[in-house]
Amino acid sequence: MNLKKYRTKSPWILHYNTGSCNGCDVEILACLAPKYDIERFGILNRGNPKQSDILLVTGPVTKRARERLIRLYMEMPEPKVVVAVGVCACTGGVFRGMYNVENGVDKFIPVDVYVPGCAARPENIIDGVVRALEILEKKKKDLQLTRKCTGTEELEYLLGKQLNRRKIVAEGTRRCYESRRD
Amino acid sequence: MGNRITIPFGSQHVALPEPIRFVFQTENEKIVDVEVDVGYVHRGIEKACMTKFKYTQVGYVVARVCGLCAISHTLGYVTAVERLMEIEVPKKALYLRLLVSELDRVHSHLLAMGHLAEVAGYENLFMHTFRDRELVMELQELVTGNRIQFDYATVGGVNRDLSLEVERELREKLKDLQERCLWLKDVFENDYTIKLRWKGIGVITPEMARELNVVGPPARASGLATDARNEFNYLPFKEVGYKLITMKDGDIYARNMVRAEETLNSLEMIFNLLDGMPEGDIKVPVKGLPEGEAFVRIEAPRGELFYYLKGSKKLILDRLRIKVPTFSNIPVMKELFIGMDYADVPATVISFDPCLSCTAR
Ligand code: SF4
Repeated sequence: MNLKKYRTKSPWILHYNTGSCNGCDVEILACLAPKYDIERFGILNRGNPKQSDILLVTGPVTKRARERLIRLYMEMPEPKVVVAVGVCACTGGVFRGMYNVENGVDKFIPVDVYVPGCAARPENIIDGVVRALEILEKKKKDLQLTRKCTGTEELEYLLGKQLNRRKIVAEGTRRCYESRRD
Repeated sequence: MGNRITIPFGSQHVALPEPIRFVFQTENEKIVDVEVDVGYVHRGIEKACMTKFKYTQVGYVVARVCGLCAISHTLGYVTAVERLMEIEVPKKALYLRLLVSELDRVHSHLLAMGHLAEVAGYENLFMHTFRDRELVMELQELVTGNRIQFDYATVGGVNRDLSLEVERELREKLKDLQERCLWLKDVFENDYTIKLRWKGIGVITPEMARELNVVGPPARASGLATDARNEFNYLPFKEVGYKLITMKDGDIYARNMVRAEETLNSLEMIFNLLDGMPEGDIKVPVKGLPEGEAFVRIEAPRGELFYYLKGSKKLILDRLRIKVPTFSNIPVMKELFIGMDYADVPATVISFDPCLSCTAR
């Protein structure tokens, strides 16, 4: 029996409101409720960034929420994905250009999935989260590959066949970080 | 005397998804001081309504002040503009507005009740309440075309008519909903542990409520007969069987019961309204520009909502002022916390059903 299949982790979400009108927040809540029920994908809503893999952001980023958003993002462990829920989080929506608003989440943290709509419908949010799960899976694989430093042959070739271990390790680490960044 | 401990609660907290921040000073579990900070979601809507948007568009912008009481905000603005420009709104439009505003109240109250149950640890009850709330959302979608942020009311009427099929379906589903709401009320009313947990906690006395100007269900739970639907004539509530609901105790349990009773009353009103739906247009054309001042009081699900408007024959308004229910309720919240056990804080906060998005705007 292939046990590995059963050892996949349940992704947990962290939901942060950076200045939304509560419309999208309520729809996220509705996703967790019995009718839409994203818990069947093993997804739980937790308020702790240190345990979460998916960050759901709603609302345009206000100037005061900005620091908190960045901090929450930094506190989440790798690999992580960010889903912008609602037009406000994508571009600023009606709030675009108001004096206390910075138009969209992607100005501050990298966003993987954009869910449009005002308010974003629960069906769309679920689609977005499922898409985020694929990206999460991919990111996880990328991380694992580079961590194990496989493909040293290729690295050796790149380094001009000098068998300098330190250089190889440095190159591997650099690649690891690069893959993390996107 | 114990040690003084500072406990920050929010702006990102497990029990409270709203971006509000309290800093509690506690001594042996008792709170001795509290600071409240509500400004995390300030976006500057009032300013934008006075500089960027035309007066015909403002209704759709103020709906985005709060997604839960979107219809109340639009209604407040639209009524104010209509009073200013002396527009005679068709009776049918008024009835349709009433229908949607009451549906909104039902879903907002169910959300508050469910959330309260969750915070008290009744996960199952929370799920039940939310399942029933989905029914209201379906009805809203049927009537208006969107689940939340339906831009229904507009200056001079409403944007969408009620067709016969929709009306038939509405009646059917409402019957179902009414039964479920009755059941929910029964559970909230008679469950023994709920009573133990909520009775006598966070009591607002009538004097306190009067002095600190509490509004909405918390005020009515303390025996204060204040309801804008009763006092300010903006929609024909009296014609469809509106009842003022008050209770005496003023604790968390009473606030919850007021919400449950109001939900049932709203459903009753919707039935009466569907029976007596008048014929006619749903919208009248709007001519001219607003001039002068007007103010309007609306009963949003959370309490009294106040709109002030000033125009001077221009496309863009001179001044728009919004005073929201939660803003009126924050002083009493602060008063309540001092001397309370820290463990009761989440339930008390949620029992006010705070809406920080409204407060900060
Ligand atoms: S997208 Fe619409 S519903 Fe969602 S936060 Fe923005 S204004 Fe509110």
